[in-house]
Amino acid sequence: MTDLIIKLKTEIKRLFNENIVDVVIAFKKEDSPLRPQPAFFRPNDSLEDLEYNSLCQNNLANYLTKYPHETRIGIVVRGCESRSVNALVVEKQHPRENLYLIGVPCQGIVDFRKLVYQTGEEISGYSENQDEITVIFKGKEYKFDRQSVLHDSCFRCVHPNPVNADVLIGEPLPEGDSSIVRKSVESFEALTKEERYAWFRHEAERCIHCYACREACPMCYCTECFVDHDPPRWTESSVSPAGTQAWHIIRAFHQAGRCTSCGACERACPMDIKMTYMTDKLNEDMLKLYNFESGMDDKTQPPFSSFNLDDKNRFVA
Amino acid sequence: MMHILEKKKLNQILTGWAEKYEVFAPQKVENYSQFLPFTDTSELTLDEPHNTRLPPKALFFPQSEVMLKYNSRRHKLEEVEFAPKPRILYGIRPCDAKAVTLLDTVFDTEENRDPYWKARREATTLIGFGCTNPPQTCFCTTVGSGPFNHDGLDAIQTELDDAFFIEVLTEKAKKLFEGLPTATEEQEKQIHTKQDEAYKSMTPAFETKGLKQKLDLIFESSYWESISESCLGCGICTFLCPTCFCFDIVDEVQRKERIRNWDTCMFRIYSQEASGHNPRPSRKERTRQRLMHKYSYWLDHIGEIGCTGCGRCVRYCPVGLDIRAMLRTASTLESEVVHA
Repeated sequence: MTDLIIKLKTEIKRLFNENIVDVVIAFKKEDSPLRPQPAFFRPNDSLEDLEYNSLCQNNLANYLTKYPHETRIGIVVRGCESRSVNALVVEKQHPRENLYLIGVPCQGIVDFRKLVYQTGEEISGYSENQDEITVIFKGKEYKFDRQSVLHDSCFRCVHPNPVNADVLIGEPLPEGDSSIVRKSVESFEALTKEERYAWFRHEAERCIHCYACREACPMCYCTECFVDHDPPRWTESSVSPAGTQAWHIIRAFHQAGRCTSCGACERACPMDIKMTYMTDKLNEDMLKLYNFESGMDDKTQPPFSSFNLDDKNRFVA
Repeated sequence: MMHILEKKKLNQILTGWAEKYEVFAPQKVENYSQFLPFTDTSELTLDEPHNTRLPPKALFFPQSEVMLKYNSRRHKLEEVEFAPKPRILYGIRPCDAKAVTLLDTVFDTEENRDPYWKARREATTLIGFGCTNPPQTCFCTTVGSGPFNHDGLDAIQTELDDAFFIEVLTEKAKKLFEGLPTATEEQEKQIHTKQDEAYKSMTPAFETKGLKQKLDLIFESSYWESISESCLGCGICTFLCPTCFCFDIVDEVQRKERIRNWDTCMFRIYSQEASGHNPRPSRKERTRQRLMHKYSYWLDHIGEIGCTGCGRCVRYCPVGLDIRAMLRTASTLESEVVHA
C-alpha cells in the first residue's frame, strides 16, 4: 500500500467519524490491476479495497450529478476532476457546502491500452514511481517511462493540482507546460480546410453511437440528450456520416467553456476516436477571447451562459 | 484429415478466393482489428490473441440497415435491392461463430425469419481461427464453448509454427482448400495437443450450474443497485457483444429512408414508453437486464446461455466492470423471495 493510499484512508475515516460526509467517491481495486474501478464508500464500509494510482482513469466528478443535492459527498479529485466539480457547482448541480474535495496532485493518468499494446493483456502486477511504470507480464518485468504511456490529454495537462480542494494530500506539483497543448492545437489549425474535414471524418465516422464519451463526461449530465430527443429528432440516429458527424460536432460545441480537458471521453471510447482536438481548440478560444478557463473557481459563469446588460456586443438584435 | 496452409501462401489463397467471393479478414484499424474486405494491401491482424473489437455480427446484422425507401416523386415505398454476394469470413474466432448460431435462433426461426439475416448467412462461409493463447479476459470454456469450438464454422484453423492446419467441417468449405497438402499423423497429434493445452489453460471463471435459478431468485436484491453504481450507462458492452441483437426502427425523414439501427437496453430511451413511463427507470434495472437476459432469459428461450465468453464487455468497459466478477458475487448472495 502506498503512502498516499494510507493518507487517503485516514482522511476518509476522519470524514466518516466526524460525520462530515455521507458517501465518498474514490476508486477501488479490481481483479485486474489494470482496471481500478470507481467506488462509493459509506460510513460503515471497509476501506480495504480503496485504490489510488495512475491507472484510475475515470473522472469521478461524473458521479456527482447522480446524487440528490442534500447528500454530503466526499470525493477524491485530481486537477481536472476538481475543475469539473467546480464547473458543476457553478452550474448548480450540487451545492458546494455539501461537497468535501479530497485533493490529490496528479502526475497524469497512465493509458492502460498503451501498456497492453506493448505487452499483452495478461498483466498481473503494476507499480509506479515518479518517472517509471513497472508491470509484470507473464512473470516478466517491463518498465516504461511514465511520459511515454500517459494518456494524450494528460501529457498536455496544464493544471495538475486540485483547485479549491478542502484538503490536499501529497505535495503540489509544478504547473504543466501550456505550450504543449498550444502546439497540438496549432498543428490542427495549420491544416487546410479540406484536411481538417478529412481528419474530422476519419475520427467521427468510426463512431458506433454507444455514447460512452457522453456518459463518461461530467459535463454531459442532461436528463435527455439532444440525440435522444423525439420529437423533434435533432439528428439521425443511424451510423450514417450525417448522424455521427452531427453527434461529434454538437457534443464538442456543448463543451465550450465547460470542458476541463480531462480526456475521459477519449479514454472511454471503444473505437479509439480522438475528440480532445476539438475541445482543446474550444478551450484555447475561451482563454484567448474571454480569458476564461473552466472550473478554476466555483463562482464564475462560463462566458456562454452568462450575460450582463453592459455587454459591449449587441447579442440581442 | 487436416490441410496444411503455409503462412507464406496465405495471401495467395485469399487472393484466389477474392476472385469469386467477397473475402473478409481481420485487419488493422487504428490500434484494433476489424473485419474488412480483403485486398492486396490488407494488413491482417492474425497475430492478435483475441477477437476483433467490433463483433462480426455486424456483417450479418449491420448497425444501420436501410429497409425501405420512400420515393417522393412517385409517392411510393420502394424496396431496397438486396442480394448479398457469396462471401468468406476468414479468421473468425470460435466465440463469435458460436454467437452467430445463437443469433440464428432469433433471426431465423419458423415464426420469425429475417430475410436480411438469412440471405447473408446463406451467402457466407465461416473459416474459424482457433485460439492457441486465449487471453485472460476470455471465458468461453466457462459458458460451454471453447477456444476450438466448431459451432457455426465451416472450417477451423490451428496455428503451428509456419503454417495453419485446417480442419474442414462442412461441404461448403471443402472446395476452398482443395489441392492443399494434408498433415501427417504426427502433425495432427501435435495440433490436438496444442488444442488441448489451450482448453486446459482456461480455468472456469464462475459456476454456471444453478446460476439461472439463483439469478431468478435475487431479481429484487439490492445487489443490482450496488453493481450499477459505477456503470456509466453507455452502450459499449451491448454494441460490442456478439449476441446482443436489439434494434430500433426509425424513419430518417430527410433521407426518406426507414432504417433499422442497433439499440441497447443500457440506454434510458430503450425502454422509455410513449406515456412517459419507463419500466426500467434507473441503471439498476438496466444493468440487471443485461445479465438476466444472457444468463436467465436465453435459457428460458432456447436452453442455452446467451453469452459466448468472448470477453469484449470485460475488455472495453470504461469503468472496468467485469461480468465474471458480477456473476461470481451474484451466486454467493442469499436468495430473496421473488414477487409472484
